[in-house]
Amino acid sequence: MSIDSAPPAAPGPSPGPHYDFQDAQSGDLGALAAIADAMKSDNLTDRLESLKRLGILALAMGEERTRDELIPFLDESIDDEDELLLALAELLGDFVQYVGGPKYAYVLLRPLENLAAAEETVVREKATESINKLVEVMDQLHVEEYLIPCIARLSSGEWFTSRSSAAGLYASAYGKVTDAIQSKLRAGYEALCKDDMPMIRRAAASNLESLVKKIEKDHVISFAIPNFRLLADDDQDSVRLLTVEPLVAITKRLTTDECKQYLGESVQKLCVDKSWRVRYMVADHFIAIATNIKDQELQEELLSVAISLMHDSEAEVRGAICTQLDGLADLATPEAIVARLQAPLQELVDDPSQHVRATLAKHIGSLCSVFGKEGTLEHLLPLLLRLLKDSFPDVRLNIISKLDVVDSVVGIDSLSQSLLPAIVELAEDKQWRVRLAIIEYVPLIASQLGVQFFDEQLSNLCMSWLGDPVYSIREAATANLKKLTEVFGVDWARATIIPKILAMATHPNYLYRMTTIFAITTIAPSVTPDIVRDLILPSLEGLVNDQIPNIRFNVAKSLEPLTAVLRKSPETTSLESSIIRPTLARLEEDPDPDVRYFAHRSLMAIDSPAA
Amino acid sequence: MVDLDNCIERLYNGTLLSEGEISQICILVQELLAEEPNVVHISAPVTVIGDVHGQFFDLLEIFQIGGKCPDTNYLFLGDYVDRGQHSVETISLLICLKLRYPQRMQLLRGNHESRNITKTYGFYAECMHKYGNAGVWRDFTNVFDFLTLSVMINDSIFCVHGGLSPSILLVDQLKVLDRFDEIPHEGALADLLWSDPDADIKTFNRSQRGAGFTFGSDVVERFLHVNGLSHILRAHQLCMEGYLVLFNDRLSTVWSAPNYCYRCGNVASLLNVDPYLQRDFITFDAAPDSTAIANQPTPTPDNMYFL
Repeated sequence: MSIDSAPPAAPGPSPGPHYDFQDAQSGDLGALAAIADAMKSDNLTDRLESLKRLGILALAMGEERTRDELIPFLDESIDDEDELLLALAELLGDFVQYVGGPKYAYVLLRPLENLAAAEETVVREKATESINKLVEVMDQLHVEEYLIPCIARLSSGEWFTSRSSAAGLYASAYGKVTDAIQSKLRAGYEALCKDDMPMIRRAAASNLESLVKKIEKDHVISFAIPNFRLLADDDQDSVRLLTVEPLVAITKRLTTDECKQYLGESVQKLCVDKSWRVRYMVADHFIAIATNIKDQELQEELLSVAISLMHDSEAEVRGAICTQLDGLADLATPEAIVARLQAPLQELVDDPSQHVRATLAKHIGSLCSVFGKEGTLEHLLPLLLRLLKDSFPDVRLNIISKLDVVDSVVGIDSLSQSLLPAIVELAEDKQWRVRLAIIEYVPLIASQLGVQFFDEQLSNLCMSWLGDPVYSIREAATANLKKLTEVFGVDWARATIIPKILAMATHPNYLYRMTTIFAITTIAPSVTPDIVRDLILPSLEGLVNDQIPNIRFNVAKSLEPLTAVLRKSPETTSLESSIIRPTLARLEEDPDPDVRYFAHRSLMAIDSPAA
Repeated sequence: MVDLDNCIERLYNGTLLSEGEISQICILVQELLAEEPNVVHISAPVTVIGDVHGQFFDLLEIFQIGGKCPDTNYLFLGDYVDRGQHSVETISLLICLKLRYPQRMQLLRGNHESRNITKTYGFYAECMHKYGNAGVWRDFTNVFDFLTLSVMINDSIFCVHGGLSPSILLVDQLKVLDRFDEIPHEGALADLLWSDPDADIKTFNRSQRGAGFTFGSDVVERFLHVNGLSHILRAHQLCMEGYLVLFNDRLSTVWSAPNYCYRCGNVASLLNVDPYLQRDFITFDAAPDSTAIANQPTPTPDNMYFL
């Protein structure tokens, strides 16, 4: 439905002429002039709008004029509004089609080079991104003729802005030039690594990863590693922390012995760096670093490093290493792992930072297979139980979500004895959202632990949730019953839960009677027609005459999905006309308007051809 | 014609309605409310809600705890706007629900449902900020003039926003008041929306609020006895525990804005009245989204109105 409303007031101080760009596509010169004029308008919105239509203008002008006139025009009229510059930087990266295809892509480099030197970081980054896009389609000759000088100019620019952008261009250029030029590029990059300004060295560090992926193996050793070491020793921690990702890229290119020989010392230094931010990066990338280093001696050292990171003074670092727990298993024999990790894990369970404990809870399950059944029962299960009782809800929930992993190792009986009391406690938590989260895991727990376990231990809990004071819990409880029906089957539902649900239909508290109807409606699609006929409909008949209108209109609503189930079987489909329709017809005459509305709606739905 | 179900769905998602939609809805709901007497009689069961004050996410929390309208019957005791950051969304949703399910949603007028008050305590500013002009505020404040003053549950529980008035002894006296106007500074209508109970007194005293009175145990007893009632439900006053029961279980205050003004740290409550008039309070904390607002470091113009 549309309602007229007043258009928003135009921003900016001067209203200015309103530019109508509709005619641009027809090539009407007047409209083109309008776009060109709009680009010079005082009004920022107008300039932005005209920029968005630049593609149309270029199409109208044709490729040659676009190259010869439009691009230089854009280059000259470099704006001072960052929003515009950003839009332009992005646009130019997609402009190859308008200038005549890849063989003319180079003409776009000029304006982009200027944008790569812009003051605003996002503009520079977008310009660099666009240039890299162009390089993909440019051929070798053009790269050498146009891009390389561009990179050289930017790399030797007086302002830090251009030099920092330059660092982002080396990798894409490298693959498309001759050996001689590659050598120059490496020299140029090395100069950036040694630049006076930390900002440039940061750019060099962060872009080193992509460069490493492109260069030849012997240059990895002769060029990448020395520069990596240089940056990893930088006095600015902001530079050092950016060397971790290049480090990972380098390890992938080397053999184990080479890693040991060239990187061993650097890795150790980074792991004990005095800045926590560097240690954080190491911790966060630990598995990636360790994976490629297959030397046993080194791996043992790495394990020691990992353990020391678990004791790090900074919570962020401890949290980061927790995310890498399952990778640690590869670093030593299972016995060694069990022996060495016991104590640190105990301490982490008591960590003062709730974030660390939550992260631990999320990942500790992955150690179960390493510890094995006995090891898990003896060492890990007590820790899991303590985490399950943590005061911070996320910790508790993260454990619950990993129960299947634990179960696969220790088996049901051990799990149920230890975990069940904790689960029950959570299921009765004061915070309703904690109770909600437990309910949502019940189908998973049930499917893992089996029907007998469920009936004995969890069934009463599930039924009690149907009577929770909080509506959202009751709603989740009914959804839970549906999922359980899908896990355990219709016969189980008929025998165990349906009788209990239907028993609530005569409860004096109307909230319980309402929940019965919601439960029936939710489960209906998952049960068989005979259940509807024999058990559900008789119960509902009592509720049709309930004193409270809210009950009656919910009965009316529920008859629609129930009819759909009845229609599935020839034995029950006749009930539609013998019971359902007359009931709805009566409810259509109800004194309450909402009852009449929902009865009518259900009848319409049943009658519709789609049903 | 406005599509109410669609409006309601958008409002549940926190989307504002257009000015045109609000204008149409307000006209329609005014017609509906004009038919309601000053004392609306309803039957239990009903869930009673106190002040919400623009705390929209907490309103959504109320629906999550108490159940959705229309499955659950609701009675709101007023003070939907001001102080919170989402008065517009709050009042828009409640008015749409009232229009869509008039039997299932009852709205009383609170002392904040007034042009003067909303100009001072945030609703006017919020409307200007969100719509760029005062049209929406005018539409809503026109609707406020039509909101009823009180509700009677099962002819036994009397519900009003503030409290009792020295001018009103019999409930029938309420029925002859002309309520379709801005709240006056004094008189019965003002008292009903501004008065507070005081457990330490027996009769009426002057109120520190500058409007309405404070009233004590004898007043309450007499009112209940003369009118054959069992209980009074009202809101209007912050309760740290979410609710407060006074005068030997003859009067209850329900307060439904948790962590009021995003800093009082109080708990809120809703009150379930069952078909046998059993009263059952459920307390709740601020919704996580409301807590996020409370944790914002710097005050924005939006939350200047706590002072």
